[in-house]
Amino acid sequence: MSSTRDVPPDSSRAFTAALERIGIYAALAIVLFQTLYPLLWVLFGSLKTKSELINNVWGPPTSPILDNYIQAWQMAEMGTRIVNSVTVTALSLAILILVVTPCSYALARLRFPGRNIVTGLVVGSMLVPPQVLAIPLFMVARDLGIINSTIGISFIYAASIMPLSIFIMRSFFLSLPFDLEDAARVDGAGRVAILVRIMLPLARPGMALIIIFGFIEVWNDFFLAFLLLRQPAVQTIPLGLVNFFQQYDSLWNLYFAALMITTLPVILLFVLMQRQFIAGLTAGAVKA
Amino acid sequence: MAVPAALTSKSPAIPHVSLARRLGRSDGFVAAMMMLPAGILFALFFLWPFVSGFWLSFQRWDGFSDPRFIGLGNYWRLMKDGVFLLALKNSFIFVIVSILAKNILGLALALLLNRVTFLRGFIRASVFVPVTISFVAAGLLWAWIYNPVFGLLNAGLEFVGLASWKRSWLGDANVALYAVIVVDVWKWLGFHAVIYLAGLQTIPSELYEAARIDGANARRRLWHITLPLMVPVIFINTILSLSGAFVRNFDIVHVLTQGGPNHATEVVITAMVKAAFTNSQMGYAAAMGYALFVLVGGICAILVYWLGRTRFKV
Repeated sequence: MSSTRDVPPDSSRAFTAALERIGIYAALAIVLFQTLYPLLWVLFGSLKTKSELINNVWGPPTSPILDNYIQAWQMAEMGTRIVNSVTVTALSLAILILVVTPCSYALARLRFPGRNIVTGLVVGSMLVPPQVLAIPLFMVARDLGIINSTIGISFIYAASIMPLSIFIMRSFFLSLPFDLEDAARVDGAGRVAILVRIMLPLARPGMALIIIFGFIEVWNDFFLAFLLLRQPAVQTIPLGLVNFFQQYDSLWNLYFAALMITTLPVILLFVLMQRQFIAGLTAGAVKA
Repeated sequence: MAVPAALTSKSPAIPHVSLARRLGRSDGFVAAMMMLPAGILFALFFLWPFVSGFWLSFQRWDGFSDPRFIGLGNYWRLMKDGVFLLALKNSFIFVIVSILAKNILGLALALLLNRVTFLRGFIRASVFVPVTISFVAAGLLWAWIYNPVFGLLNAGLEFVGLASWKRSWLGDANVALYAVIVVDVWKWLGFHAVIYLAGLQTIPSELYEAARIDGANARRRLWHITLPLMVPVIFINTILSLSGAFVRNFDIVHVLTQGGPNHATEVVITAMVKAAFTNSQMGYAAAMGYALFVLVGGICAILVYWLGRTRFKV
């Protein structure tokens, strides 16, 4: 009895399922709209004249004006800024990798007294973001004479993303099998050789993850750059954007163009690497 | 004692053991060398500022003349400083509203994404795009969306017949803070949704099938299967959004409102930077940083303890 009552007729069940599916896709369409349309709107705006921007708020430009991009590039001194951002980001990531790899290997694989204390320090400093230390960090940078130095700020960036990176790399090294390493040690390989020849190639996904994280963090950072890079000649893209925005009043279409110039490369990079990116991110977060 | 014995051992039967033992003994030195570069960076840019800043917070200093030790003076002053207290209150509103919004909307979005197969990759990547763009870009973008003259938001409200809701979103002290929080949620929503989605995918589908056979409807499956199993992921997402929302909102506030109108969107970090660089009160600004550190650290510790307990009970 009950089994026949519980099962609705096929057509009605298919109808509810279809309705549910429509509901889900409608909700997702709203989500997509609020994420993508603002970006599309900036793209449209960057190709309009100033008057069209006010008269034609929503739609695509009637006749795209690429000249906005050239003007924005020159007025925001984009060339210098891009070179600075690339230099600082590349240098920071190079320092980060060189420092993080041996340290996280040692924490994951070597036996030594105080290992738990060091690991605890790493986790503890993950919870203290550099923003809290902004004022003393500025004083230290001044004492070291690295205000307005792209090399100096690269070391500070590397230091600020180091705890999280060590934590991620350490868990990657921990997840690798011990057998390979033991075999190499029996064959007489030293610790450094094992790290470079055997462990590093295996830990490549972990490295990719910390490079991607580090890239987003450093490339997009405004706060530390705002504190430490005070001369226009050494400033990075985010600082340039804000200065441009505050310096010229109401050149909206040019702001849009400048915003597109600086945002599009990052979005493209993400789209190209999104598979590894999301896989790495979720593996780290859900395992931990 | 054992090392020379192993070195001089003539027995060919156990060379591997002695070699391993020798290498095991040298771990301490190798480990120290491997951790040295990280240790130097840590000491220079973490330990040194941490200690010297703590000392600085007990002094009155304009950054140039001789600093003067004033004990707990800066901390007493914090408790009576109206702007700081307002900034603290705004920071708390920022944290609570943004954590709730990011987690509830993020989980909802993940549940939706988990139900679809068609275009899932595309949708997942799309909602993640705002995470990759900078706070500055997100802030400038939203400054134009909120623009009272040609902004999208006011145009949209007029379009759907809600013209009376139009306002200067960032200029109105009653709504400005929430307008800023919306931008923060917009930027991070995809991040939390993707983590929730990964968590949802670890739940075995047999559980849902069994519940369905037992006659549990969708709401009860969510309440009795999904949420209990998602506790660890909710925990991770809450910790991530908590530490982020407290201290990483300088960029977005600076770009959108610079703390205005009349400190309506002032948060602790913007108040701290103003104290240091506009008012040249280095010691006082350092004290703000430590007050915030103690608050965030304390709340994180309580949350970890409390969630850890409930997690093991479940």
